[in-house]
Amino acid sequence: MRNAECGMRNDGGVRFSARSAEGSVAPGFSRGYARIPNDFAPHSGAGNGHPSCAAMRRDENLSFGQPPAEAGGYRSFAATRRGSARASDLRIDGRFVRTISAIVLSLLLSPLAFAATLRVNGSTTVNAVATEAAEVLRAEKKMAITVDTQGGSSGGISGVADHSIELGMSSKPISDDDRKKFSGVNFVSTMVGQDAVALVVSKDVWEGGVKSLSRQQARDIYEGKITNWKQVGGPDRRIVFFNKEPGRGTWEVFAHWLYGDPKKAPATSHREVGGNEEGRTKVASTKGAITQLSFAWAEGDARIHALGAKLDDGRVIVPSSSTIADHSYPMSRPLLFVTDGAPKGEAKVFLDFVLSPRGQSLVKKHGYLPLPIGPGAAGAK
Amino acid sequence: MTRLRRFDFVRLAALCGSGVALVALVALGAWLAIGSIAAFRHEGLSLFTGNDWGYRQESFGAAAMLYGTAVVSLVALILAAPIGIGTAIFASEICTRRVRLAIKMLVEILAGVPSVVYGLLGVLFLREWLYALFEKLGLDALSGDTILTAGTLLAVMILPTVATLTDDALQSVPSRVREASRGLGLTRAEATLFVILPQAIPSIGGALLLGLGRALGETIAVFLVVGRADNLLPENLASWRPLVDAGQTISSKLGGAETNIAVGDPLHSSAIVALAAILFGSVLVVTLAAEALRARAAKVMGR
Repeated sequence: MRNAECGMRNDGGVRFSARSAEGSVAPGFSRGYARIPNDFAPHSGAGNGHPSCAAMRRDENLSFGQPPAEAGGYRSFAATRRGSARASDLRIDGRFVRTISAIVLSLLLSPLAFAATLRVNGSTTVNAVATEAAEVLRAEKKMAITVDTQGGSSGGISGVADHSIELGMSSKPISDDDRKKFSGVNFVSTMVGQDAVALVVSKDVWEGGVKSLSRQQARDIYEGKITNWKQVGGPDRRIVFFNKEPGRGTWEVFAHWLYGDPKKAPATSHREVGGNEEGRTKVASTKGAITQLSFAWAEGDARIHALGAKLDDGRVIVPSSSTIADHSYPMSRPLLFVTDGAPKGEAKVFLDFVLSPRGQSLVKKHGYLPLPIGPGAAGAK
Repeated sequence: MTRLRRFDFVRLAALCGSGVALVALVALGAWLAIGSIAAFRHEGLSLFTGNDWGYRQESFGAAAMLYGTAVVSLVALILAAPIGIGTAIFASEICTRRVRLAIKMLVEILAGVPSVVYGLLGVLFLREWLYALFEKLGLDALSGDTILTAGTLLAVMILPTVATLTDDALQSVPSRVREASRGLGLTRAEATLFVILPQAIPSIGGALLLGLGRALGETIAVFLVVGRADNLLPENLASWRPLVDAGQTISSKLGGAETNIAVGDPLHSSAIVALAAILFGSVLVVTLAAEALRARAAKVMGR
């Protein structure tokens, strides 16, 4: 009973209030229970004044006349603390040695374990395919693979550059800026499929009559010159722009369409979203919302609708597999894996799988366009 | 006492452990300070006062983020304080010891829930609820991602800290005070409100400050619901309209994509490090103030 109480007290006491006055005052005494002092009392031969219940219990055990020689490894430390100076107190038993050596050994070996792990990071768009490919390879080839989406495409590219990962995922081509910034790195991208960026709106906007936007309209919305959907033929509702955060492949493709060069895009004060799932959820649950989203993620979700792009000659191009394949839809983009130098080792095994018919069927399954087969196939970029 | 210890393993381990912690703290502070020099050189004071954060334009005025961090944390504190203190009064002054420990344990389990889980609940439910509420109230909120949403979510997250530390504070009021006030004929409510609570106020202040410290640094949950809109400063601080607008906090900025983009760009990464330094500094100050308050209160009570 008393030990159980101790445990509870320590839970709150040690973590938050080791320096409060609880110990010395023992309030609540009137309610009839003793409190374990929390403060460090100086060592005084006897077993009281120890900071924790555990220490106290150890002392109880010892003071009940068990010879120290029978005590386990840690118990002998408690005895040491008490200052009783018998040689046997300092004996370190076999279990202790085994534990320590196991810890040391695993620490020494852990770099080897990490070296064998294929680390993949980057675009959430490519991630959908990479995750499944990783599952297959883990099961069939016993490969150790981690797949993450920290920072989107630019996270993948900078990860490859500083060698914190072996394989980067990117849903935009490597720009000259990237090559300049990481001049010591030989970026090699392998294209595994195609996708497009769609401008996606919530249901009320779509049903209110907005089915497409021209480049100028999209730019005015982005720059905050158009703030209400009625200005582009829609319902009378303010526009909520969920902007893909900078560095995301989706955003760069979008900015490339609007400005020719993402660097020319002005600073804005829109709400930002990160991965595809976040953008999709937030647009679906907000009235008057628009965001840039991977086309594959927009398809097959009844809560959101992909707008067509109205070209300068008045034609409206709706994103679809055929308009993406023939590049008539202006925001088509490649799905890439990025390596430093030609892919080798585990990374090559991974890429070979994604490029194989089975891997390509995964690309297709997630709504992306697999690589064209036969003449004119787009290869490494 | 003065006997020489031959091999005091526990002491040595404790000394090493706390030494490592101290060295890490100092090294981190120094690294942040040195790393942010370039940004301070570039921006000067407008790092704090400028409202023009944009790395493509190479301007790094973080005023909106400072504002966002402060307001989100204050909202959290204002919401968490009454509930947390109420819980503590209930647990400490009204419940039996057994019930009190049970409540305390439950509250502390609440503290152990990973913040990303809170973030997820925030995205899935709180955003939607508050969005619907704003609509009903006729507030012209653009979406559910607002400073108020983030503050509310944070309030839930710091509630355990506030509640359990306030409970400790109330418990550390000596029992003689309770006995004396009951002996003077005060009811339990009167004794709690007018005698015990005032006695514990310094430690409760410390508890609130520690809660504030946690709120300042919390990242992922805030990240998911605050909207992350750059450079939005309210035109009118007195109105509560800005609360239902999106914002950006230092931690949500640091948790976002820019940390990755900044790699390899000295000025940009220095600006990011400067943000981290500001956050580190403010959490340090708040935590130290809290500990000072609590230590002083402990000393007074202990007499």
